[in-house]
Amino acid sequence: MQLHTEIIAKNIIRHELLGLNVDVEWKNGKQQKFSGVVVGESRNMLTVQLSKGKRLFPKAACVFSFKLPNGLCVKVDGVLLIGRPEDRLKKVVRKW
Amino acid sequence: MKNRLLKAIARERIERLFEFARTYAQSDPEAAREAVSIARRIAQRARLRIPKPYKLLFCRKCGNLFLGSSSFSVRVRDRMTTHVVVKCLRCGWIRRYPAQKEKHIKSTAQKL
Repeated sequence: MQLHTEIIAKNIIRHELLGLNVDVEWKNGKQQKFSGVVVGESRNMLTVQLSKGKRLFPKAACVFSFKLPNGLCVKVDGVLLIGRPEDRLKKVVRKW
Repeated sequence: MKNRLLKAIARERIERLFEFARTYAQSDPEAAREAVSIARRIAQRARLRIPKPYKLLFCRKCGNLFLGSSSFSVRVRDRMTTHVVVKCLRCGWIRRYPAQKEKHIKSTAQKL
């Protein structure tokens, strides 16, 4: 059986987010969207390098659409990404 | 199987983090240092060794990347034993790697 080690839609929750291009949308109906590159990550926040500068986005309050290296775009609810980067390695999502 | 997949993903993540750190070392050194610390924590969690080319690339104390002459110094010392001294110019951390003299290597090769 082949192991999918490169980042794909199925394993994005367990994979590395740093360096990916991302579009950020707020869940609470704010109209403004942001796009940039992920440059930092903590348990609850994602740091994105925008054209103006760095900005922190709470994972729980946003929806992120990541552009993968293979060209696909994946939309992920930020709640699923909550957890320290090294803890997400063993994270299991029951409903897919 | 599960463990193998975990380790494979961890290995890929470590590689990607170091590549990220390398690209951002000049423009955003703080982000690069953070990436190195995440890579080290992932290696600990998945019980993996950091690959040697990356292992020699950063300071174990502050996570500074050894790229360019302004970030680290390398000296060969011949005191008690011959060794290479690598010094981080950000925090002053020193690492000594043992080195053998060429003569000694030749003599051992002849014996073999």
